[in-house]
Order: sequence, then structure tokens, then C-alpha cells
Amino acid sequence: MYISSRRLGVYAVALGFAIVMNFTVPRLMPGSPVDAMIAQLGPRATPAAVEAIKARFGAVEAPLAAQFLDYLKGLATLDLGVSVKYYPQTVTEVLARSTLWTLFLVVTAITFSLVVGTLLGAIAAWRRGGRFDTVVSPFSVVMIAVPPVIIALTTLFVFGVALRWFPVGYAYDPSLDPGLNFTFAGSVFYHAILPVLTLSPYLIGEFQTTMRSSMISVLGEDYVTMGRAKGLTAATVMLGYGARNAMLPVLTNLALMLGAVFGGSIVTEIVFNYPGLGLTLFTASVARDYPVIQGQLLLMTLATLGANLLVDIIYGVIDPRLKDGSA
Amino acid sequence: MMSGLKILLQQKKAVAGLIIIVALCLMALFAPIIAPGAPSARVGRSHQPPTVEHVFGTTKMGRDVYTQFVWGSRTSLAVGFATGIAITVIGTAIGLIAGYAGGRTDAALDLATNAVLVIPNIPLLILLASFAGTVGPLAIMAIIALTSWPWGARMTRSQTMALRNRDFVTAARMIGEPAWRVLFVELLPNLLPLIGINLVGSIIYAVVAQTTLEYLGFGDPLQVTWGTMLYNAQNSSAIILGAWWDIGAPAAGIALIGLGLALVNFTFDEIANPQLRSGPALTRWLRLNRQRNRSLGGA
Repeated sequence: MYISSRRLGVYAVALGFAIVMNFTVPRLMPGSPVDAMIAQLGPRATPAAVEAIKARFGAVEAPLAAQFLDYLKGLATLDLGVSVKYYPQTVTEVLARSTLWTLFLVVTAITFSLVVGTLLGAIAAWRRGGRFDTVVSPFSVVMIAVPPVIIALTTLFVFGVALRWFPVGYAYDPSLDPGLNFTFAGSVFYHAILPVLTLSPYLIGEFQTTMRSSMISVLGEDYVTMGRAKGLTAATVMLGYGARNAMLPVLTNLALMLGAVFGGSIVTEIVFNYPGLGLTLFTASVARDYPVIQGQLLLMTLATLGANLLVDIIYGVIDPRLKDGSA
Repeated sequence: MMSGLKILLQQKKAVAGLIIIVALCLMALFAPIIAPGAPSARVGRSHQPPTVEHVFGTTKMGRDVYTQFVWGSRTSLAVGFATGIAITVIGTAIGLIAGYAGGRTDAALDLATNAVLVIPNIPLLILLASFAGTVGPLAIMAIIALTSWPWGARMTRSQTMALRNRDFVTAARMIGEPAWRVLFVELLPNLLPLIGINLVGSIIYAVVAQTTLEYLGFGDPLQVTWGTMLYNAQNSSAIILGAWWDIGAPAAGIALIGLGLALVNFTFDEIANPQLRSGPALTRWLRLNRQRNRSLGGA
């Protein structure tokens, strides 16, 4: 297992940047978010709650450095503050409720798109300039350019409202009790179909485009000619010799795309009323629940960094050349 | 440059893309002529389906969707293009400086680029926008531009590093050309295809990000843009009520501009990276090859 110290440095800086943003933005903004939040709490504004909010958002008489240290201490103990909308619940509790749903949605969409996208890319590269390529490849580029909002609203209208094939909200049938049985699992999958189909076009487009260009250069390599010369079937050469080696750039791209995937899932969850992190973020932003918004940014940054780290590790396993430090 | 334009115009995809973009821009430009009347005037009943009088129907508030669509394109396109240009300028400048300077400057800039790249953009945008309260188009522009330059910076940096040690750059340095001249007169022209890709990609991104922010309610709801049209339609539950025209018009506008830009970008990609080409050049070569094979087989 090998990860360059340089990459770790990048992740540290990114995390630091997210933390500093969270700390400074509320303190820089005109008007006082603190007063707004206390007003929002209304009758629930106990002295303890007011104190906690004041300390977190800088309405206290203390030097900035001391405030920042306090803030870091809070983060280190996983104390993200209290939610204004759901007080007395803490931000950690609010986020924990919805994280699993988003994870389920995003992982399903990525897995599905990875299989479809790389296959389409590999075939397009294999028959470059053919009919399949000239239709599928530009289509992929277009899919990348269409905002998730549009895709979400269109699928919602066509399959949810007009055809009534799929449910238009919630993660499972509200009349069911969550449990480990087929009815519940079936309901969860049924409700996830439209959101996953909404997230996929962008991902498939990205995977197809990356795979195609990477595969085109791989197909020019000697070992592919060798495979053909050995008289192997086209499928074996394409998948075992070409696609396998062309996957590396796709993986890099996947790590870089995660931020965009989270962005897409936010919109998708809002449109389909799906109880994940995105919907939580939306209700938090409507209620000006700043602690939750901040916790969300930290969580998503951590998730992206974690996934990047994972890809780095996988990369080291797949491509041993990286260990020489040459790349 | 001329040859680049020529290649661009030979490609059917690029021409189709350019036609779409130009048509939408003309529509925005001539909004007062093709859709006279104020976009926020109440002219009919609530949620009227498309008729001859209101070709795109009306909104919940009884406003004409067609007029809103035409006028809304102005802000949406202007913000999209201006933000795209801003993203490209920042990204190109940082990439050029990092790639050319090397050493510590490069290390620091590269670190910053990669760090901003891995922070999820939309949550960051939402954090900034929610603390700023309701934000106008200019603030949206600034927020998007400041968080999305790293893609371009990365591409430009690696290309600059590849060019830095070429003979013509060394020669320019030897005869004592100042650094800014080497950067802007020697290096920049060689990066033009890359900058083109970056620009089109950034405009696409800016349109998407702007729409998303406005759809989520961070825009100024009194401004008529495609994003706020979606927001208002969503708030009046247009989809559930079956008023598809209310959502369809702005959605079609955004999808169209995305389609146009994507088609142009596809061709830019092929110009910058001939290996990817599958257009006329490749088809011609394939045909030639086939004919040659056939004549060989016949001989």
C-alpha cells in the first residue's frame, strides 16, 4: 500500500480550507446570523442554547485565535453544534439520520453508471468512427452538459406524474415498518429507481468519454496487437487486454467527480423528496439553520477526501509502477 | 487560428452547436422586439395551458411563460458567459504562472488547485450563498468563479510545463524577453485550443451552477431568469398539478444551451487531441483504406 505524502498534503490543505471557511464566513457576513438564529429558536431559546450558538458563531468577547482554537476542539470531539431547526437535536444527530440514504443513492448510481459507461466507452473506442461511436459519443458529451435539475424534473414529470410508473417521493412506502424483509427492501429499491436514473446520465457520460479516449490510446499498444495476433476473440482482446488497462484514468476521474456527484444528489433528493443529506441541506438552508449547513460541508468534504484516499490506495494496488514514485 | 476556425466549420456538430448558441443569444438580444411587454405582468388566468394567445401557457401567477422565457434568457446567458470567462481567466492565469515558474510557486499553487478541486462545489456554494442571504446575479457570478477555476488551472499547468522547455521558449528567454512576454506572446497562443475547451466547459458549468443555486432559492426571486422560473414553478407545484409548460420552457432553454455548448466542445476536443477524431477526416481515411484493401484484394 502506497500513498504519496504529497497527496496527503493536498487532503490536509483541503480539509483545513473547509474548516477555515466554516469558521470565517459567518464572521465576515454583514448582519448578524446569530440574532437571526436566536430569533428562529423562539421560545426554545434557553440560555444554554443561546450561549452555544454565540460561541460557535463569534458573538463572544474573545480574540479570534482563541475562538478558532475552541472551534477546533469542538470539531475534534465531533461536536458540530446544535441544529437551530431541530433544537435540541445536535447537528451530528440530524446528519446521521440522512447520511445512509445519500450513501445508498450515490453508491448505487456510481456502480450502475460505471458498468454501463465504461462498456459504452470501450465499444465506442473499439469501433471508432463507426455508427455506434458517432451516436453514443456526442450523446455522452451532451449528457454531461445537461444540469441534474433538468433531468430530475423531466424524469419526475414523465415517469412519476404522467405515466405514474414510479413513486414521486420518500425513500420507502411510509406505511411499511423499516425492517430486514423483502417487502421493505423491495420498496426501498422501487423508490430509489427514479433518483438513481436521474443521477446516472451525467456519470455515464463522464465515464463513457474518459473510457473512450483512454481506450483509444491503449488500443494502439503492442500488447493489444499481440492479443489479436494470438487469435483471441474480439471480446477477450477488447475487455481483457484493452478495457482492463484503460480503466485507470476512469478511476482518477471518478475521484475527481465525487464533488459533482454530491451536487447532483442534492438536487435529485430535493426534487424527489428523498430523505438524504441533500434534502436536509435544503431544509436547513431554507430555515437558515447555519450549523447544519456547515456540518454538511464538512461531512461532504470528508467523504470526498476519504473516497479520494481510497482511490489512491486502489491505484497503488492496480498499477505497481506508481510505487517507484515516477508518477 | 484561421485553420482552426476552418476545421471548426467543417464539423457538422460544431456548426449545429454554434447555430443553437447564436440563435439563443439573438433571442436574448432582441427580447424587447420578439416578446414585447413586461415579463412580470399578469396577463391571464392561473396555469393556462399553451394557446395561440399564450404560446407557452401561463404561470401560477398568470404571467406569460413565453415572455418570461425570452426575457429570462438575458440574465441566464449573460451570467453564464461572464462567469465562464471569469473562471477561464483565473484558471488560465494560475495554471500558466504555476507551470512556467516551477519550484516553490508551482508547489504552492498546485497544492491550492488540488485542494479546491476536492472540496465539493455545490455544498460550498450553498454555504456561501446561504450566509449571503438572497444574492443577485453578480454575487452568484463571484461565488461560482471563485470556487470552480481549478479544472482549468490543472489542464493549463500541465500543458505549460510540457511547453516550457521547448526550444522556442528557451530561445525567447535567451534573447532577454521579459517573463510576461514569454508567457503571453510565446506560450499563450500555443494554449489556445486548451483555453477554448476550458472556456466552453466553464460556461456549461456556470450555467448549471447558476441554475442550481437559483432553483434552490438562493437567487433574487424578483429577477426573471431561467433558474428563478424553475424555482417559482417548483414552489407553485407546477409538476404535480400537471402544468408541464411552466417547468418545460426554462428546462428546454437550459438543456438547449447545454447541448449547443457540448457540441462545440466535442469538436474543440477533437482539434486539440486529433487522436479522438471520428469526424470527416477519419471517415475519409477509413474509406480510403477500404478502397485500397479492395483494390489489393482484386489484384
